[in-house]
Amino acid sequence: MSMEDYDYLFKIVLIGNAGVGKTCLVRRFTQGLFPPGQGATIGVDFMIKTVEIKGEKVKLQIWDTAGQERFRSITQSYYRSANALILTYDITCEDSFRCLPEWLREIEQYANNQVVTILVGNKIDLAEKREVLRQRAEEFAEAQSMLYLETSAKESDNVEKLFLDLACELIREAKQNTLDNNDTAPMPGEGKTISYLSCCSSLN
Amino acid sequence: MPLPTFPNTRRLLLDCTSFLDHQIGGGVCGCCGALRPRYKRLVDNIFPEDPEDGLVKANMEKLTFYALSAPEKLDRIGAYLSERLSRDVARHRYGYVCIAMEALDQLLMACHCQSINLFVESFLTMVRKLLEADKPNLQILGTNSFVKFANIEEDTPSYHRSYDFFVSRFSEMCHSSDEDPDVRIKIRVAGIRGLQGVVRKTVNDELQANIWDPQHMDKIVPSLLFNLQQDDSTESRSPSPGSEKDKESPAELTERCLRELLGRAAYGNIKNAIKPVLMHLDNHSLWEGKTFAVRCFKIIMYSIQSQHSHLVIQQLLGHLDANSKNSASVRAGIVEVISEAAVIEASGSIGPTVLEVFNTLLKQLRLSVDYEVSGSYDTYGSKTVKVHEERQLQESVIQTIGSFANTLPTYQRSEVMLFIMGKIPVLGMYPVLGPANTGFEGSRMIQIMLLKSLLQVTVGFQTTNMLTALPTSFLDPLLSFTLMEDAEIRLLVLHILISLIDRHDNQLKFTPIRIITDIGALKLKVDKCSRQDNLFMKKHSQRLYRHIFLASKEENGTSQHFESLYVLLGLISVELATEDVVVDLIRLALALQDLALTNEETFPVFNRCALHALSAAYLNLISQLTTVPTFCQHVHEVIEARQKELPFLLPEDVFTDDPRLPEKLEKVEGEVLFLQAKIAETLGGSGYNTERLATPYIPQLTDEDRLSKRKSIGDTISLQLEMESRHSPEREQRRSPAEQITFETLKQAIVDSASLEEQERERRRQVVERFQTAPFEEIAAHCGARASLLQSKLKQIFEITIRPPPSPSGSIGQTQGRSVPVYEMKFPDLCVY
Ligand SMILES: Nc1nc2c(ncn2[C@@H]2O[C@H](COP(=O)(O)OP(=O)(O)OP(=O)(O)O)[C@@H](O)[C@H]2O)c(=O)[nH]1
Ligand SMILES: [Mg+2]
Repeated sequence: MSMEDYDYLFKIVLIGNAGVGKTCLVRRFTQGLFPPGQGATIGVDFMIKTVEIKGEKVKLQIWDTAGQERFRSITQSYYRSANALILTYDITCEDSFRCLPEWLREIEQYANNQVVTILVGNKIDLAEKREVLRQRAEEFAEAQSMLYLETSAKESDNVEKLFLDLACELIREAKQNTLDNNDTAPMPGEGKTISYLSCCSSLN
Repeated sequence: MPLPTFPNTRRLLLDCTSFLDHQIGGGVCGCCGALRPRYKRLVDNIFPEDPEDGLVKANMEKLTFYALSAPEKLDRIGAYLSERLSRDVARHRYGYVCIAMEALDQLLMACHCQSINLFVESFLTMVRKLLEADKPNLQILGTNSFVKFANIEEDTPSYHRSYDFFVSRFSEMCHSSDEDPDVRIKIRVAGIRGLQGVVRKTVNDELQANIWDPQHMDKIVPSLLFNLQQDDSTESRSPSPGSEKDKESPAELTERCLRELLGRAAYGNIKNAIKPVLMHLDNHSLWEGKTFAVRCFKIIMYSIQSQHSHLVIQQLLGHLDANSKNSASVRAGIVEVISEAAVIEASGSIGPTVLEVFNTLLKQLRLSVDYEVSGSYDTYGSKTVKVHEERQLQESVIQTIGSFANTLPTYQRSEVMLFIMGKIPVLGMYPVLGPANTGFEGSRMIQIMLLKSLLQVTVGFQTTNMLTALPTSFLDPLLSFTLMEDAEIRLLVLHILISLIDRHDNQLKFTPIRIITDIGALKLKVDKCSRQDNLFMKKHSQRLYRHIFLASKEENGTSQHFESLYVLLGLISVELATEDVVVDLIRLALALQDLALTNEETFPVFNRCALHALSAAYLNLISQLTTVPTFCQHVHEVIEARQKELPFLLPEDVFTDDPRLPEKLEKVEGEVLFLQAKIAETLGGSGYNTERLATPYIPQLTDEDRLSKRKSIGDTISLQLEMESRHSPEREQRRSPAEQITFETLKQAIVDSASLEEQERERRRQVVERFQTAPFEEIAAHCGARASLLQSKLKQIFEITIRPPPSPSGSIGQTQGRSVPVYEMKFPDLCVY
């Protein structure tokens, strides 16, 4: 008898330069709002949202980290247990894009190597200020074998899709994993027996 | 927040399962008619109609009684309570949530002797649920329950319990940025207490996920430090009124928690606990400000078990090395922290780190000098060096060396003195003096820095056994004349000698240099010269005299030099004097007078006057110390004559800011001079050795000196080898090159030098003769060639013997380039032959 009210539990960690909109993305997704005057995150922030995908309850534990350099050591310690990383940059800020290789190094160093990483270009509502072309980012993501999505936390573009796609991908991987090693406890989504049905359309 | 609610089917299903479970497991109450199992009814009954009324106490007692008498039901009670609580959280019925939690707490307390493993599982699920909620009150409620639970000692081990989430969440709460400052503080405090709870719960339980793993420490430690750091800001915001006074501030609580954590750290865990501290201080740029970093490490040093404290020092030293290329202010901050921490360590236990501390500090000193001289932090010259910051760093390194040395017992202090001495490069004999671009100026600065460090170490050093505290291997380089040419360096050496010899705090009583009328007024503290002191002087006095003589002769001497020479003479007279010593010191003073009378045209007037003044001041002092009236009389008369005719031959007139000196010294003769014959005569009456007194002093080398030369090479080798073994954790790997030296090779080295010495002995008379007649420099030049023969032979052998001690950071290449091996310091003295 399970006391849990979900079928899957996934830990998602958002990382990326300060001010790219990580917190806004999370709050848009979990609270359905675009917070005016969102302050810089201190250390780490935490939110929960449970979604239903193909009849299965998926609990998303979302850790939103501070982009500021000074919190780097504590935020890094959160990568390790993440099932997925949302690496965010700001399409209107070339700098935030240029820092991506540095972030990838951090991921390499601190995250579980099975972690699912998705690259997100945020603030597409500011199209006229765009500094990073979509194609360039897509190519970069592909070269690093990451998924790629562009979002606007402000206009709520692709935010829902971001998290839901991620959840689907994680479920797919979890099922794959349980199939692969039947006797070991399912690592992510500590849950129940998994049906063989694929859960949703592939990403992008 | 749209939390999902349970679909009814699920609920029903759950209930049915529980019911079935119950039927199978217990089979007790099938007859009672009620469909719901007993434990569920008991649980339901503790909830009042109106949540405002709170837990129904009487029914809670019934439930507790039931749980105690049927402990096998505990897990189901837990599961059911947990299920109710989830539902209530989802439906925002917070009153009931609180009641459920209270009930859980009570059951936990009441039943903790029994096996509560399964119950704990549902309990933790509930705490977790509360912590996941976004309502601060629920988070705090959950934390409180968790803390209560953490204080329960469980008697059965628990596998499969993960505290991962709790560590993550509590750490996150420690960083709360809630808009409402009160709420923010409450959440942060809850976070701290939660972490404290996790630590208590897991720290001694080997079955638990290891709380000391980096994945946990890297969250816990920075979260605590973050709150420790908030001290000032929170304090100033709420000047807590009387009622709040007894309540701990987050910072105070944090400090307590940190101390508890560190106090529990075993040997193997220290590193993981300290690493995040270093990272935090790095990331938040807290080294520069110093105060917080120092505070952290004071907390650390005072709370960890003292036998581990050297590990902390080691980590700090490693961190300093890792920051070698960082700005001087960062390095200075780390140095300051090391100094504070090392003092705490030393006063507790003398760890194996003592020499390592000095090694790292000296290395940093050297680096800083290199930076200053070369003007850049690396060969590419990308960052420019802030000279004044480097200077500050150098000062603080030297201060640190001093304050740390001060805490050490005598034997360790002299070990440290030897160690520093071994790092001092001696000019002219060193092919490699660090990176090429620092050159002469660089090595001169290094000499100064190291001598300043040495001086710091000697301050307050009071040994009863000079003989062992100051071995030849120390005195040789210190008294070598290559450290004499430069005025600043010479002065430092004099100060070091003063500091070493003054064991009764007398030195200040001799300053300023003057004609003392009543020696009693000085209130000198004097002990009888001990046997060891006596032996020391037998062995080394001639070199001391020679040093004083040669130092007085240097033309670039200033008032400070002469004053120091006077103090040194005075101190030898009160600390180490025997009859022989007194006789030699008087001869030396007379030789200084002769020096002043030399007819060398170029010798400056100031130096002549200063030498006269120095010898007058000293003879005045020693005459009063001997208390021989006729001697005193003679000295008095000469001084009086000078006061009348040539006052500029007395200290009062020479050693002022504005000395009144004549253009040229003339008519220095007759009654203004001290007469050797007269003095010999006056003292002869009191049993002093007249014959010796009548012989003019000539600087010389004794057999003692010569013999000790050979031994000191041996000393140096053993010191260096010892250093190596101390410093190399990777000793095994480093063995292989060293393996090539055998006892034979070493013996050969010593025998070689000995046989050379044999040859030399034959020519000894000649040499001494020449030495007595020729100027020093000439002899040095003459012997240079022969010395370098021996030098190259020895060097060849040492090359395979001695590797520089590895630096803690493991950057061996760097060390090799920069550190000066001990053996190199030996050779300059060979010139003396
Ligand atoms: N126009 C626009 N502005 C956005 C969007 N997302 C975030 N912002 C703004 O960008 C700024 C930073 O957003 P945050 O969510 O605080 O950024 P962050 O990545 O969490 O920053 P740190 O917490 O410091 O790491 C805020 O002023 C937001 O209003 C977006 O999609 N469109
Ligand atoms: Mg943020």
